[in-house]
Amino acid sequence: MTAVRAILFVPDVLFLLGVGPLLMSVIAKTKAWFGGRVGPPWLQPYFDLQKLIQKNAIYSKTTTWIFRAGPIVSLAALLTAATLIPVLSNESLLGFPGDVILLAYLLALSRMFTVLAAMDTGSSFEGMGASREVTFGALSEPALFLAFVVMAVATKSLQLSEMIGPKLLPEWQIAGPAMILVVGALLAVLLTEACRVPVDDPATHLELTMIHEVMVLDHSGPELAYITYGAALKFTLLGFILVHAAIPHPGGINVLGPLLRAVEIGGLAVLVGIIESVMARFRLNRVPMLLAGATVLSAIAVVLVLMRRAA
Amino acid sequence: MAILLILVPAVFALVCLGLPAPRWRVAAMVVGAWAHLGVVLWSWQGQLEPVSDEFLGIDPLGHLFVTLISGLFAAASLHFLGYHRRALLSQRVFLACMLGLLSALSVVCVSQNLGLLWVALEASTLAAAPLIYFHLGARALEATWKFLLMNSVGIALALLGIFCTALASMGGGADISLSVKELVVHGANLDSAWVRAGFLLAMVGYGTKMGLAPLHSWLPDAHGEAPATISALLSGATLNAAFLAILRAYQVCDAAGLGAFAGRWLIAIGLFSMAVAGVFIVGQRHFKRLLAYSSVEHMGILAVAAGLGSAASYSTMLHVFHNVLYKGSLFFIAGLLGQLYGSYQIADIHGALHRYPVTAFLLLAALFAIVGLPPFGLFYSELGILFAAGRTGNWWVLAAFTLFLCVVFVGMVTAVLPMAFGKPDELTNPPDRTGHVEQWRHAVMATSAALLIAGGLVLASYQPTSVRNALERAAATFAGPQSSSRVAVCAPGEVLP
Amino acid sequence: MLQSAIDSILILVVLLNLAMLATSRMAACIRTFALQSLLLALLPIAVGIRHETTPGAHLYVIAAGAVGLKVFLIPWILLRVLRTGEIHREVEPFIGFTSSVMLGAVIIIASFAFAKRMPLPTEAPTDLVVPVSIATLFNGLLMLVSRVKAITQVLGYLVVENGIFIFGLLLLEQTPVLVELGILLDLFVAVFIMGIVIYHIRREFDHMDTHLLGEPREV
Repeated sequence: MTAVRAILFVPDVLFLLGVGPLLMSVIAKTKAWFGGRVGPPWLQPYFDLQKLIQKNAIYSKTTTWIFRAGPIVSLAALLTAATLIPVLSNESLLGFPGDVILLAYLLALSRMFTVLAAMDTGSSFEGMGASREVTFGALSEPALFLAFVVMAVATKSLQLSEMIGPKLLPEWQIAGPAMILVVGALLAVLLTEACRVPVDDPATHLELTMIHEVMVLDHSGPELAYITYGAALKFTLLGFILVHAAIPHPGGINVLGPLLRAVEIGGLAVLVGIIESVMARFRLNRVPMLLAGATVLSAIAVVLVLMRRAA
Repeated sequence: MAILLILVPAVFALVCLGLPAPRWRVAAMVVGAWAHLGVVLWSWQGQLEPVSDEFLGIDPLGHLFVTLISGLFAAASLHFLGYHRRALLSQRVFLACMLGLLSALSVVCVSQNLGLLWVALEASTLAAAPLIYFHLGARALEATWKFLLMNSVGIALALLGIFCTALASMGGGADISLSVKELVVHGANLDSAWVRAGFLLAMVGYGTKMGLAPLHSWLPDAHGEAPATISALLSGATLNAAFLAILRAYQVCDAAGLGAFAGRWLIAIGLFSMAVAGVFIVGQRHFKRLLAYSSVEHMGILAVAAGLGSAASYSTMLHVFHNVLYKGSLFFIAGLLGQLYGSYQIADIHGALHRYPVTAFLLLAALFAIVGLPPFGLFYSELGILFAAGRTGNWWVLAAFTLFLCVVFVGMVTAVLPMAFGKPDELTNPPDRTGHVEQWRHAVMATSAALLIAGGLVLASYQPTSVRNALERAAATFAGPQSSSRVAVCAPGEVLP
Repeated sequence: MLQSAIDSILILVVLLNLAMLATSRMAACIRTFALQSLLLALLPIAVGIRHETTPGAHLYVIAAGAVGLKVFLIPWILLRVLRTGEIHREVEPFIGFTSSVMLGAVIIIASFAFAKRMPLPTEAPTDLVVPVSIATLFNGLLMLVSRVKAITQVLGYLVVENGIFIFGLLLLEQTPVLVELGILLDLFVAVFIMGIVIYHIRREFDHMDTHLLGEPREV
C-alpha cells in the first residue's frame, strides 16, 4: 500500500464515514415528499448525533458490562467491515481472497452484540425484539451467501472488491436474468438488515411492530449515538455492495466514476424511500416468506449461472 | 370405415340432445348403440386393408378392442332400458354423454396417431364425468371430483410421455413423428433414453386411467357410486381403452428394442395392483366396490400379461376379450340386485336363490367366470399367462401371480356366495318393502347380463377359428409374431404339450 | 437479444410458479396463472421469429388459441365460480405457504439437475426449456396435492398443463395443428366441467374444502 494509493483512498474513507446520516435524511425527505410534507432539515441526523454525544449516559442497575460493550463492539465491527468495501472507486481499502466471509461475519458480530446488549437489560420487551432480529438475520444469511456465490462463480474470485468490480460487467451480458435475481435478493437483504419497511418500520414504536427500535430502547447518550450512526453505516455498507453489483463500472481511474457512484448511492436511498412510502409493513409471520423468497431467488440465480458456465 | 365408426354414435348423441320426449331419447340411445355394433360387425366382413392414413386406421388390435367395446355398449343400452328411472341429472346430457363416450372410445381404438389417441382418451374422461354424477349427492360428488381430477392429471402426464416419444423419434436427425406405424418402422433409430422416459410416463399416466395401483384410488369411489350401467361401461370399456393406449406405447418400445425394460415395469406394477386389490377385496362390504377392486385386479393381470411379452400375448387378448364380457355382466347383475334389495351392502343381500332364482343363477355364473374357473374363458387366459411366465423363466412372477389370484378368489367367493345362498330374511327385507322392480325391467336387465355370459361361455368352449385368428392377429400387432404361444392355450380338446 | 428475451420469459414463468405457491388469495392466484399463460403464449411466436424471418401461420393460430382460452376464458370461468362462493382465501395448506415455496425451489433445482442428464436429440430454442417445463410440471403437482380448496387444485392441474405446453414448445414446428388445438380444446372443456362440479360442491356443502367431502367410510 504505497503512499500515493493511501492518499487516493482518503476521499473514499471520508465519503463512506460521512455519507451515512445524509442517506438517512435523503430517505426521510423522500418519504416526506410522498406525504406532501417538507420533512426534517437535510443535516438533522448530524445534529441528532451531536446532541446525543454531548449527553450523559444512564445505565440500569440490572445491566452488566455487555450492555456498555454492545454498541461499541457493534460499531467497531461495522467500521472494520467498511474497510473491505469498494466505495467510490473500484478498489477497497483492504482486501484478500475470502474476505466476503469476514464481511458477513463482521455484520453478524455487530448484530450479535446488539442482541446481547438488548437481552442484558433483562426486559422481555427487548428480548422479544432480540428474538425477532435473530430469526430474520438467520433467514437473510443464506440469501446473502448465495448471492455472493453467484458473483464468485461469475468472476472466479473470492475477494469482495474483485467480485463486485469490473469483472462482473460481462456477466450481465451472459446471464442477465441471473444477475437481476441477485440484485433483487440483495435488495431484500438490505431492507432486512437495515430494518426498513417492509420488514421493520423505523418510525414506529408500537410493541407489535418493532424489531430494531425495541432493542435499543434502553440505550442513551453516546451509546445511542453509536447505535444510530452504526445503523446508518450498515445501510451504507450494504447499499454500496448492492450498487456495485447492480452497476459495475469498467476499470481504470477517471473523474466521472466517483461522481456517478455518489449519484447511484443517492438514487438507492431515494428508491428505499419510495419503497417505504408505497408499501406497508408485512405481517410479522409473512416476513420469513420474503426472506425465503430472496433465498430462492439467489438459489435459482446460482443454478442459472452454473448452467451457463457448464454449457 | 373408421370415420363411420366415430360418426355414428356422435350423430345419435346429437339426436338425443335434440329429441323432446324422454322415452324417445332413451330409444335413440339404444338405437345408436346397436347401430354402432352393426357397423362394427359389418366391418368384419371384408378384408382389412393395411393402415394407410396417418391419423385413423383399423388395425387388428384396434379392431378387436372396438368390437368388444361396441358389444358392451349394446348390452349396456339394453340394461339401461331396464335400470333407468326418474332422471335426477338432465337426461339429455346423460344420454348424449353416453354416446359421446362411445364415440370417443371408438376414436381411441381406430387412432393411429399417438396425439389423437391422447385427445380422444381425455375426451372420454370428460364425457364420463357427468355420468358418474347421476345419483346426485355428496358421495357421488366426491367420486366425480376424484375421478375428474386424478384422471386429468394422469392423462396430462401421459401427454408428456407422448412428447418424450416424439422427441425420441427425432433421434438420428429424422423428422418428428407421432404416427404409430412410422415409430414402429423406424424403431431402431429412436433415442433410447427418451423412449424409456416416454414409456414410463405413459405407463403412469394411462395407468391412472386404467386403474393400476397405486394410482387406482379414484376407482372404487367412481365405480361404486355411479349407476350400475355406467360402472359396467367404465370397467369394461374405458379401462380397456386405457390398456390399449399402454399397448401402443409398448409397441413403440418393443420396436426400439426396449421391450424387456417395458415388460419389467409392467409386470411390477401389475403384480402390485393384484396385491392391493386382493387386500381390499377380502372383507369388502359394499358389492360394487368389491367389483371395482376386482377390476383393479384384472387390470393388474392384464399388465402382467402384457409385460411377459410375446410369450403371453395371445393370453392377453383372450383375457381382454372375456374380462369385458364377464365384468360387464357382473355389474349389470349388481345393478339389478341393488334395485331388488334396495341396497348395495353385501350384508343386506342374501338368499337370492330362493327369491330370484334366475338372477342368482346368473350371479353365480358370472362370479365363477370372473374368478377364473373353467369352462369360462378367463381360466384359459390365466393358465396361459402362468405357462408363459414359466417358459420365460419368471418363477417369482409365477408364484406371486398364483398367490394373488388365490387371495382374490377367496375374497370374492366368500363375499358373493352368501348373497346367493342362505335364507332370505323375511323380517329385515320382506319382498314388498324393498325396491319394487317391475317384471319387464327385471327381465331386460337379466337378459342383458345373460347375453354377455352366454356369449362368453359359447366363445370359450366352442372357440371358432375366426375368433381365434382375430385374437392372434391382434396379439401379433403389439408383441410381434409369437413363437409358440398357441401351444400354451388349452382349449378343450387340445392336448397339452 | 431475442435469446435472452426467451430466457427471461422462461425464468419469469418459473418465478410465477413460486408466486402461485406463496399466495393465499385465490383471485390473485388465478390472475398469476393468466399472466403465466400470456407469457407462454408469446413464446411460440418468439421461437418462430428466432428460427426463420416470418413465423408460420399455424404458430399464430396456436398462440391465439392459447391466449383466448388460457388467459381469458378459463380465468373468467374460475373467477365466476369464485365470486359465487363466499370464500376468497385459501386456508393454510397441509404443508404451509413458506414451506411450499421452499419445496418449490428445491423442485426447481432438482429439475435443472435432472435436465442436465437427459441430452436432447435435437436442437432446442434454449437450453432452459426442459428444466423449466419439468419444474413447472412438478410445481403444479405440488400445488395440486397440497392445497385444500378445489379451485387451487384446478389451478394446480392447469399449471401442470402449462409445463407440458413448454415441453411441446420444443416440438412446436412439427406437431400438427390438429393435435395442438385438440389439446387446448380438451383443456377448456376439462376446466368447464370442473367449474360445474365445483359449483355443485359449493351448492351441496357450503364450502370448497375437498378434504371434507364425503363421510368417513370403510375400505
